[in-house]
Amino acid sequence: MRKFWIDTDTASDDAVAILMALRTDDVDVLGISVVAGNVPAEQGSKNARYTAELCGKKTPVYMGATHPLMREPEWAYFFHGNDGMGNMNYPEASLPLQKENGVFAFIEAVRANPGEITLVTLGPLTNIALALRLAPDIAKKISMCYTMGGAAVTLGNVTPAAEYNIYIDPEAAKIVFHSGIPLLMVGWEHCMGDANFSADEMKMMRSFNTKYADFTLDCNATAIATNQNWLSEPGLALPDPVTMAVALDSSICTERGSYYVDVETIGEATHGMTVVDKLGVTNKPANIEVCWKIDIQAWKNLLYERIK
Amino acid sequence: MPQKIIIDTDPGVDDTIAITTALRSPELEVLGLTSIFGNAVTETTTQNALRLVELEGHDSIPVARGSEVPLLMELEGIASDVHGRDGMGNTNLPAPKGKPIEKSAAEFIIDTVRAYPGEVILAPVGPLTNIALALEIDPGIASLIKKIVLMGGTVSVAGNISPVAEANIYHDAHAADIVMQASCPVVMVGLDVTEQVIMTPQYFEELFEAENPATNLIKRILPVYQEYHDRFRGMGGSTHTHDPSAIAYLIDPDLFKTQSVPVFVETQGHCKGKTTADWHRQWESRVDTEVCMEVNSSGVLDLIKERLAK
Repeated sequence: MRKFWIDTDTASDDAVAILMALRTDDVDVLGISVVAGNVPAEQGSKNARYTAELCGKKTPVYMGATHPLMREPEWAYFFHGNDGMGNMNYPEASLPLQKENGVFAFIEAVRANPGEITLVTLGPLTNIALALRLAPDIAKKISMCYTMGGAAVTLGNVTPAAEYNIYIDPEAAKIVFHSGIPLLMVGWEHCMGDANFSADEMKMMRSFNTKYADFTLDCNATAIATNQNWLSEPGLALPDPVTMAVALDSSICTERGSYYVDVETIGEATHGMTVVDKLGVTNKPANIEVCWKIDIQAWKNLLYERIK
Repeated sequence: MPQKIIIDTDPGVDDTIAITTALRSPELEVLGLTSIFGNAVTETTTQNALRLVELEGHDSIPVARGSEVPLLMELEGIASDVHGRDGMGNTNLPAPKGKPIEKSAAEFIIDTVRAYPGEVILAPVGPLTNIALALEIDPGIASLIKKIVLMGGTVSVAGNISPVAEANIYHDAHAADIVMQASCPVVMVGLDVTEQVIMTPQYFEELFEAENPATNLIKRILPVYQEYHDRFRGMGGSTHTHDPSAIAYLIDPDLFKTQSVPVFVETQGHCKGKTTADWHRQWESRVDTEVCMEVNSSGVLDLIKERLAK
């Protein structure tokens, strides 16, 4: 069994990513830590517990940081709905929230399974940054970190320069990127364009007639509308599930490279920008890997399999 | 009932005077020491904290190891020229017997505050990284901390590590800015008062007559610290009284006069680590800090001598 840990600001696309991991037979999700991001951590933990329960799992869900390190939170209700789940207002799960703080639980899990844990981050990196400051030794004990965040080759989304997860807590992202964790950054661009699910593809998903397919489409109702109206994108974009797909099957990322990547924390117009030194002009050693290209059909097929 | 405190510390010559004073004061119950970088690296200050609890038989007081690096800034300016490479005046003391507890400093702070809600005063006398981490991980503790009494900053006199910044704040300006926004009462014992409390060669001589483990250790580690104060400030064997002043405040706050004012911390550029008091409340609203502006110097000195010379 492959051991996974998911750190998430659970809203609609996070929920689909969590579902994908929980419905992968050879993956054991040891824990889910929730961070403030799309929605307050308390709402995110409700959404994560509902998702785990939907999948018939008792995965421990922990609450972590309730605000970014140095900044005020900025919720993404406009994108994910007031509950983060397309205004579906799902009932409270019976799966309880763990009492322990997610930052401590994550540190313990990594230390108890050195070299074994694949970390998938789907939200702002606050929890992971705090864990790394408390326990720097864990950087070398994480087998691989797949991070949904940043924008290496395209425009930002919440600002012209920055992708949401990194923008919300750029200081935390800077800590994580320079921590020595082996990390693959899967930017926002990989869920755009042809990686969107078209109207026809969504119709096909609905025809699966499973609770998982319905959940995937229902909880993303506001995300689908906003994606089309605001971003002029063709259909449903699922940034977190793309990253999860790469974590579950790394061959889905077909082009990647190691670079010096920094995070802008000060810029007047650019805070939260992920600055990739592809040409090596800074002469600084590479700290993380960047995903440049994914196999779009393979990503979509993986999602189809998990929600059938 | 003695006041429960946690001392967050980077020992350190003046930390040593402060901690031995606290451990000898019946008004205070030291629940633990948490270590941090600053006067030396965290590995070293953790060892020194263990040495200090063992010095006079307080081995049961836990020492929790703190962060090795600031929250966001690079680790720089370790004060080995002030306190010696070992933080103890280059005296190369024997290794302590004990070990730090398993919990990190931030976790120890969170657990202790939650075990004694409303009762614990945090007394950080080094950079504020551990306190900020605890507040970030568990914001709920802010309303459960009785008070934070910190040594650091300056609002009315020049800095020491830079023309505008005091060293503890400078080492982790982001952490300091987080602490200055905490909802619990925060008292700042800064250079405004600690530079007014001068320990002279005569004072030290009288202190050392006690010849107990505490004063013997202070006597041994002091020369490097005196030499720094002379080289940098021309003090001819006298020193300022930084960390011990914060402990004096905990024992007898009436020795100080404070003013209530929002304090902002600069995190960038030349003025990094500068603490600015917004006296006329012109910047965005922020909770007040109680800033010590006046001190009864002889009262502080007498108190410390009385405790250490026992």
